[in-house]
Amino acid sequence: MFSFRGCGRWVAASLTKQHHPSSRFSGDSAAPWTPHFDVVVIGGGHAGTEAAAAAARCGSRTLLLTHRVDTIGQMSCNPSFGGIGKGHLMREVDALDGLCSRICDQSGVHYKVLNRRKGPAVWGLRAQIDRKLYKQNMQKEILNTPLLTVQEGAVEDLILTEPEPEHTGKYRVSGVVLVDGSTVYAESVVLTTGTFLRGMIVIGLEMHPAGRLGDQPSIGLAQTLEKLGFVVGRLKTGTPPRIAKESINFSILNKQTPDNPSIPFSFINETVWIKPEDQLPCYLTHTNPQVDEIVLENLHLNCHVKETTKGPRYCPSIESKVLRFPNRLHQVWLEPEGLDSDLIYPQGLSVTLPAELQEKMITCIRGLEKAKMIQPGYGVQYDYLDPRQITPSLETHLVQRLFFAGQINGTTGYEEAAAQGVIAGINASLRVRHKPPFVISRTEGYIGVLIDDLTTLGTNEPYRMFTSRAEFRLSLRPDNADSRLTFRGYKEAGCVSQQRYERAIWMKSSLEEGISVLKSIEFPSSKWKNLIPEASISIGKSLPLRALDVLKYEEVDIELLAKAVPEPLRKYTKCRELAERLKIEATYESVLFHQQQEIKEVQRDEALQLPKDLDYLTLRDVSLSHEVREKLHFSRPQTIGAASRIPGVTPAAIINLLRFVKTTQQRQAAMDRLPKTDQHLCNTDKLEDRQL
Amino acid sequence: MWRGLWTLVARAARGPRSPRPCTRQGSGAPAPGSGATVFALSSGQGRCGIAVIRTSGPASGQALRSLTAPRDLPPARKACLRLLSDPRSGEPLDRALVLWFPGPQSFTGEDCAEFHVHGGPAVVSGVLQALGSVPGLRPAEAGEFTRRAFAHGKLSLTEVEGLADLIHAETEAQRRQALRQLDGELSHLCRGWAETLTKALAHVEAYIDFGEDDNLEEGVLDRADSEVRELEVALGAHLRDARRGQRLRSGAHVVVAGPPNAGKSSLVNLLSRKPVSIVSPEPGTTRDVLETPVDLAGFPALLSDTAGLREGVGPVEQEGVRRAQKRLEQADLILAVLDASDLASPSSCNFLDTVVIPAGAGSPNGRSQRLLLVLNKSDLLPAGGPDPSADLPPYLLLSCLTGEGLDGLLEALRKELAALCGDPSTGPPLLTRARHQHHLQGCLDALGHYKQAKDLALAAEALRVARGHLTRITGGGGTEEILDIIFQDFCVGK
Repeated sequence: MFSFRGCGRWVAASLTKQHHPSSRFSGDSAAPWTPHFDVVVIGGGHAGTEAAAAAARCGSRTLLLTHRVDTIGQMSCNPSFGGIGKGHLMREVDALDGLCSRICDQSGVHYKVLNRRKGPAVWGLRAQIDRKLYKQNMQKEILNTPLLTVQEGAVEDLILTEPEPEHTGKYRVSGVVLVDGSTVYAESVVLTTGTFLRGMIVIGLEMHPAGRLGDQPSIGLAQTLEKLGFVVGRLKTGTPPRIAKESINFSILNKQTPDNPSIPFSFINETVWIKPEDQLPCYLTHTNPQVDEIVLENLHLNCHVKETTKGPRYCPSIESKVLRFPNRLHQVWLEPEGLDSDLIYPQGLSVTLPAELQEKMITCIRGLEKAKMIQPGYGVQYDYLDPRQITPSLETHLVQRLFFAGQINGTTGYEEAAAQGVIAGINASLRVRHKPPFVISRTEGYIGVLIDDLTTLGTNEPYRMFTSRAEFRLSLRPDNADSRLTFRGYKEAGCVSQQRYERAIWMKSSLEEGISVLKSIEFPSSKWKNLIPEASISIGKSLPLRALDVLKYEEVDIELLAKAVPEPLRKYTKCRELAERLKIEATYESVLFHQQQEIKEVQRDEALQLPKDLDYLTLRDVSLSHEVREKLHFSRPQTIGAASRIPGVTPAAIINLLRFVKTTQQRQAAMDRLPKTDQHLCNTDKLEDRQL
Repeated sequence: MWRGLWTLVARAARGPRSPRPCTRQGSGAPAPGSGATVFALSSGQGRCGIAVIRTSGPASGQALRSLTAPRDLPPARKACLRLLSDPRSGEPLDRALVLWFPGPQSFTGEDCAEFHVHGGPAVVSGVLQALGSVPGLRPAEAGEFTRRAFAHGKLSLTEVEGLADLIHAETEAQRRQALRQLDGELSHLCRGWAETLTKALAHVEAYIDFGEDDNLEEGVLDRADSEVRELEVALGAHLRDARRGQRLRSGAHVVVAGPPNAGKSSLVNLLSRKPVSIVSPEPGTTRDVLETPVDLAGFPALLSDTAGLREGVGPVEQEGVRRAQKRLEQADLILAVLDASDLASPSSCNFLDTVVIPAGAGSPNGRSQRLLLVLNKSDLLPAGGPDPSADLPPYLLLSCLTGEGLDGLLEALRKELAALCGDPSTGPPLLTRARHQHHLQGCLDALGHYKQAKDLALAAEALRVARGHLTRITGGGGTEEILDIIFQDFCVGK
């Protein structure tokens, strides 16, 4: 249906002129040059790229608007992706056919799985990424995505119209106004502005407006959102200085080598693009009392640290580490920025001192004695919107068809942004096609945990994912993200390719078959002991042991089992991933059985939907305390499950709410049986109520 | 706080609840993946003729079978008389009407069972504890029956019947408050345990989320291990010493003691409203310990009449005195009886010095005994009351002859017994007790799983389950608490 113009045109365009505000770059030659799209995504960062690509995958004609095309896919902070919890998010993004995992498999320079010895449920896939390659590969992907057009331009305002009566919300967004005054119409708009909303960069006592070093902030848009009535908060984050690679004495530092073999992020990749022996090492050094001294002596030159704006507790600047945990040596990881980059990123040295003091501090550190600072570290302060103002589909309560994703919702991290981007993109597209929203429950994925935490509890510091946030951690593992999300993504959202879907089906059926085969093989423990002398099987149990039980032993894997019982187990050793996943399923089998019960209970509460148009503040005929009303009014939980997770909402309030909703539904059902004219009248009544 | 509670509502239902050999009967194993089975006292709290205990969920049939004899399910929706007994001990609990409502034609739409038992606190408590020991069953959270009914589209019924559940839900917020007052010691213990456990869990979680790249100090896991071991010992000791629960089931031991001829036997007969003991004006009439089960102010009690304490009498009476003294040591509550008109006599003074005063001061083994001092024969007193020169601890005046002062004594008894057994009239302590035992046992079991787990994610899961059980007694339990501890104790993140 569509022919791709793709990369050629992009290269031509980028060679000729890059910064013309209205130049459009399209992977879709058939797209008319009319400024009307199904979905417009504002921002080309990790949330924006995922949102735009997801909307396009779902079949929506999509426009990605960004300040500069050449910063699409830019990694503004650390040169790495993944980690504990974050790797889980990436696997889930990948299960929905998102981009970042695949791009990382093409752009990494050091792949290492964290937590290898702590159990597969908490393995953290992580990689050092070549910034340049990532950006190149991401831009190639974005500019070759069918139905996706890219345009440079800064958005100044939103075009608003009357709300659709069948949905809640005061307004409906129908397009955007650019700085140059031109307009683009859209059925849905996704805002992924990162740190650009009234962004402010801080180095020492200097502050100047910028979204990222060298980029203009978005001020008009921030004002628009505030005027509409969105509750705005302020957060801060920081990034360390960059150091010239050749000025570092690596020979005296601890070297960390990558995994061999490398484990890819994406389910559809068997391996990564680069061999382990060609990958780059990382190095470890530590701070010392001299560093503490420089920090403490110069606090008066450091306004970022003194500000009351909330920064992340878990991504602290060196200043806050020194202040909170004095007299300790703090780790500094020296990470490569890319294969041919001459920069090193000192992870753990985020700092906002004046530049010359940063340089002085760096040279106190072992291995960095002669280090040359290429770019100083800096702090960023920016606006975020209280995420309790959005639904689990990431649409705002206030403005219909307006979606938020990424740091604008108070999160930090590439992976958290990407996860929201996929969901916002999918839902922006579904909304246009009048389909029900695609919501991931906290029982289904870390994405669900992330979005549920944000939308029901809000956040007052940059939100980062940890595995300790997931109550169903043993079920939500990196290895099984595809069986949790790919099928839903394919059937409900249409964001998953046929190829990926079929692979997931194959894997699922192979796993099920494998597990039932392993359950069917039963021998007395003494026989197992003879077959697999390596395993510490205790003899004397009268009951026969299943092969699945034997596989639970730490020292047993499918390989070993298949040696003992070649038929029918040999075939399961053929696929590395399948063999590994069978082992993981065996490890957690007994606990998962119970966790499944618990998940059912939570899902039961989540199936109880609350009407979206309840006005909790004025609701009559229901006994709710004022405090509870205000809490419900602000968070607007969509289900009884979400309502019950809001702190301060009591069990009694939940039941009163249930009862009220049920009676209303019965009344509504009775009303629906009345003749049409009456129904029309009743709808108008409702409209007036809302406007009051 | 609520959020944490809620996420843990389900969590405590999870698993490794019953490492004791699973006593599955028939085909009644809970269907996998269909949610936990919950139980609750669904009639009003406090003393009533008949109490209704209800279960809802897939293991209801199994629960019914394991408590009743004969062990087959009664016909659907037909009341049947069955003997209820504790499935662990076989101890009979009550003869009760039971009803079986297979879903979906039931109150909640799930399989439900109802036990209509005699309403005494001992019976209700016994049945609740027995239900708690059936695999797959756990005490219902506030409002849970109503929610389940709603989920199955049964709300029209709930409009009427959910009321009790709703009342419970409203008192839920006050539950912990009440618990603190009623059961101060246990609540204090639980909070301490929960704190230790939360800290241990936070350290394990920190090791999982940050251990690899950050420099957590050495020995984080070892410290968590030793904390868990200590907790296990403390919990185990507490559960073995569940005296209070037993008191409620079999009755508190109330021992009537005093010097000869103070009117002990008259008091026993008055309280039991039947002639248990022979009464005569002759000192030393009662020579053995006479026991009678009575209902004292709504509580089951075992009332013991003892020989008057005196020295230098014949061998038979001497043996009676020895037995009386032994019984006194085992008493949960002593009713010390003195002749109000004879306070200055040597036997009265001796009794005051050896029994009454030491009990008030706390006994040497650290267990202070509860004691009520009753001055009998108030009808013989002059208008001014007992001799003010006798330096007496607080006392109650009574005349067994006229019955004067009996109401005051009963009220004092009610208070003492409520403190001993938990007061059934102030709401859910009966439930609370069953819950306590359920969750403390669940916690202990989970700690056992922690020790066995080789996989750190599984070990942390066991601690999460254990903490879930404790925080359902104490409240709290959200993820934020864990993160707060992590960021307070460790310098993590980059």
